Amino acid sequence: MPALGTFILLTAFVTCAYAIAASVAGARRRSTRLVESGIGAFYFLAALMTVASAVLVHAFVTGDYSIKYVQRYSDSALPLAYKVASYWGGLDGSIMFWVSLLAIFGSLAVYVNRDRHRELIPYVVSVIAATEMFFIFLMIIHKNPFSTFLTTPPAEGAGLTPLLQNFYMAIHPPSMYVGFVSMTIPFAFGIAALVTGHLDDAWLRAVRRWTMLGWLFLSFGLTLGMLWAYEELGWGGYWMWDPVENAGLLPWFTATAFLHSVRVQEQRGMLRVWNVTLVIVTFFLTIFGTFMTRSGVVQSVHAFGEDRELALLFTIFMVAILTFSFAWVIYRLPLLRSRHELDSFVSREAAFLANNWILLFSAFFVLFATMFPTLSEAVTGERLTVAAPFFNRWMLPIGLVLLTLTGVGPLLAWRKSTGANLVYQLKWPVLSFVVTAVALYALGVRVWSSGLCFALSAMVLGTIVQEFVRGAQVRREASGTDIMTALIGLVGRSKRRYGGYIVHVGIVLMFLGFAGEGFRQEEQALMKVGEQLTVGHFAIRHDALRVTNDAQKQMVTGHVSLFQDGKPLGTLEPAKWYFNKREQEPTTEVAIRRAVTEDVYVVLAGFDASAQTATYTVTINPLVNWIWFGFGIMALGTGIALLPERAFAFATATVPSGATGATTAVLLVCLLLPAVAHAQHLESPEARRTTVARTQLEKDLWRELICMCRTCGRKRIGDFCCAHAAKMRAEVAQLLDQGKTRDEVYQYFITQYGSQEPLGAPIDKGFNRLAWLFPYLVGASGAFAVGFVAVRWSRREHEGAATPPATAEDETLQSRLDDELRDLD
Amino acid sequence: MNARTLKIAATAVVLVGALSGLLYTTLSEGTEYYKKVDEVMADPAAWQGKPMNLHGYVVEKSIFAKPNTLEYRFQVQSNGKVIAARYTGVVPDTFKDGSEVVLKGRLGPNGFDVSPNGVMAKCPSKYEANKTPGTPGI
Repeated sequence: MPALGTFILLTAFVTCAYAIAASVAGARRRSTRLVESGIGAFYFLAALMTVASAVLVHAFVTGDYSIKYVQRYSDSALPLAYKVASYWGGLDGSIMFWVSLLAIFGSLAVYVNRDRHRELIPYVVSVIAATEMFFIFLMIIHKNPFSTFLTTPPAEGAGLTPLLQNFYMAIHPPSMYVGFVSMTIPFAFGIAALVTGHLDDAWLRAVRRWTMLGWLFLSFGLTLGMLWAYEELGWGGYWMWDPVENAGLLPWFTATAFLHSVRVQEQRGMLRVWNVTLVIVTFFLTIFGTFMTRSGVVQSVHAFGEDRELALLFTIFMVAILTFSFAWVIYRLPLLRSRHELDSFVSREAAFLANNWILLFSAFFVLFATMFPTLSEAVTGERLTVAAPFFNRWMLPIGLVLLTLTGVGPLLAWRKSTGANLVYQLKWPVLSFVVTAVALYALGVRVWSSGLCFALSAMVLGTIVQEFVRGAQVRREASGTDIMTALIGLVGRSKRRYGGYIVHVGIVLMFLGFAGEGFRQEEQALMKVGEQLTVGHFAIRHDALRVTNDAQKQMVTGHVSLFQDGKPLGTLEPAKWYFNKREQEPTTEVAIRRAVTEDVYVVLAGFDASAQTATYTVTINPLVNWIWFGFGIMALGTGIALLPERAFAFATATVPSGATGATTAVLLVCLLLPAVAHAQHLESPEARRTTVARTQLEKDLWRELICMCRTCGRKRIGDFCCAHAAKMRAEVAQLLDQGKTRDEVYQYFITQYGSQEPLGAPIDKGFNRLAWLFPYLVGASGAFAVGFVAVRWSRREHEGAATPPATAEDETLQSRLDDELRDLD
Repeated sequence: MNARTLKIAATAVVLVGALSGLLYTTLSEGTEYYKKVDEVMADPAAWQGKPMNLHGYVVEKSIFAKPNTLEYRFQVQSNGKVIAARYTGVVPDTFKDGSEVVLKGRLGPNGFDVSPNGVMAKCPSKYEANKTPGTPGI
């Protein structure tokens, strides 16, 4: 199977080359047959990559550990869903996943546009195929997910990092990748338009939807990332300006800018160079983001490891993209002239322009600050770092300015707004801004940034409501229907405009969530049983600490009662999970009490199981749920904007059932996500077993016996280091229940493990010394027997066939041999 | 046309100037040095009071936690140089003897004062294990 996979990749590489050659040659010679053949090869590529993905997933599901990638990222105990998700869990697979998605999306885009944009298609095919070729090239020479062990493969996989074993792992990366990949398609159309010189607005129409779709998935991926960080990582927040998070945000900024400036080109024929540039920059940033996370140029908590060769290859590719694209832009500058000039700074196009500059500046700033440590080291030799406060300091005012533009921009007229017009349009939004600001001040809100954000949000909402109401009124007067029908008709007539407004509502809700950060409270304390900790209106009481096990892990759970202003609100169970084989990396299971107004977020930060004390970090996160809810609204708005023309054509008066069904489904999924993920925190009651030493003898034994799992580094079983320790504790409890004495318990473990190893300190009594000799004798004779048999067997066959018993030294030798052999080919 | 270009250029210069000025001033406040223990100990006086990220390894058996509090005292070292560090708060799970840590804080006269939530311990394995140095590239 791995050979098949590698073969498919090689075939795909050749197919890419053919698709590029045939398309370009066909376009230049005006040979329809060659172009058709190129398109055929392009579809074939999608089929090949699908088969390759199937082969890899099959290897994961069946546990083919002869493939290194499979061995490293899964094991047989992994649930099926995670086995499939492991496909994109590591570097090699994620590149292949990327290529597969790009192949499928590219084929789809080509198929949809093959008749309408006939002259562009050959170049679209070749640009996308060239991008795929680069990634396939990476895989073949450097990161082949199908590469196998040259020596004997291990019988079992290394297992997936526990941090990745959750629901978000299954949907967050695919969503990000879909977003990234969709941005390649506008780029391909843009380059095709530049090369062919068909620079009218046709190519924009072809890519508008793709950009919107990509933008939606990118937003979805970013939101899921925030949710993942918030629910699983346990540091109380959702965004820390980590380089990898920023990598996803950069193209989001430029894509957002593009979606706005497209309107200007459509309406006024301006900003043509700008739009092409934004498409190129967005695509470049997706590649740059991939480069940043995969090559180790920036240090991050969740970057893949450092890899200089990959960094070099990516750099070459990125320089090539920029040179090639901008050379064409410069060459075509005469064709990209604006049809109009900017008439006034008080106009909608000026507002769009301002919005674009700010978004682009945000992208530039985030890029600069993310790369700053690397840059400063390169320039001055000193590694200087910037942290979240620096980002917040800049992004906070930028965000507020953007929010203001969201409120003002839609009210300005195209070309030029007159004074009277401005007063008429801005009266109500400004009024709602002022009223909210005064009300907040009166209520005692003194966090200026959050207060301003709330007031601006009120203004934006005022704007949007006004737009809907006025539009509906005009329509009602014209058509004589009721207000609801008029509203739906309004949205149906210009879906993108009103869909966009709904997206703005979603953005406002998200900003409310961000503003809530200003009122965040956090406390931490080490607590004994029965003690209380007060944070704001809330208080928690530490009730108990329990240690339980299941097949995969050991769970240490804190049992906490929550009170609000003295009234009990129920219990919370924050925990730490120690997965087998990964005892060094426990996962933090946060307990969150969600509410519309604020979340109470409790983390078990540390514990002492024998003393029953626990350290808790309690965070009050006001309004945080509005971020997730806001995304739901945003998805709804984008869904409306994405609806095909036909969906509204047959029913301008009734809501199209299928379409709303679909968008509601998206919305529901988004809203249900937290619930699904939350379900993970439940544990079955029968798995719960109190583990406290009951007698002094048991307590002593916990301290004297050592965990024999060989990963804990000889910890005492009373240290609750892993599941194996739990098993040993259970054995101790059982033996003591049978009335065994201390020496008998020792003896039990000594015979079980064949040596004195489980004992913390050797017992030094005459009889025991004799008893200890016995297992050694057994062990020695066993070893002798094995050696004897091995020698005999190897003699019977020929020299090369001898299999010496695997020792630690042999393993290192094997891996070295593995490495060196790989260098040869 | 000429006056127009001039206007645009002037606006651009002013805007870019103002923004880079702002960036420069905030950067000088917002940045922190990223230093290894031995680099700092080469000239401790020069580094006193400067905000920094200190990179090192926890000295074996140097971690002392005051019972029933969240106060920690420990030592970090790199290339043989050692600094004593003080910290109050919650430590990450991976903070252990010998683990690689980055401490956020300032160097004081009696050792390194770690700021709240300023202990970052590196995970023993990331998504992808780092290649061991010396392994030839492929």
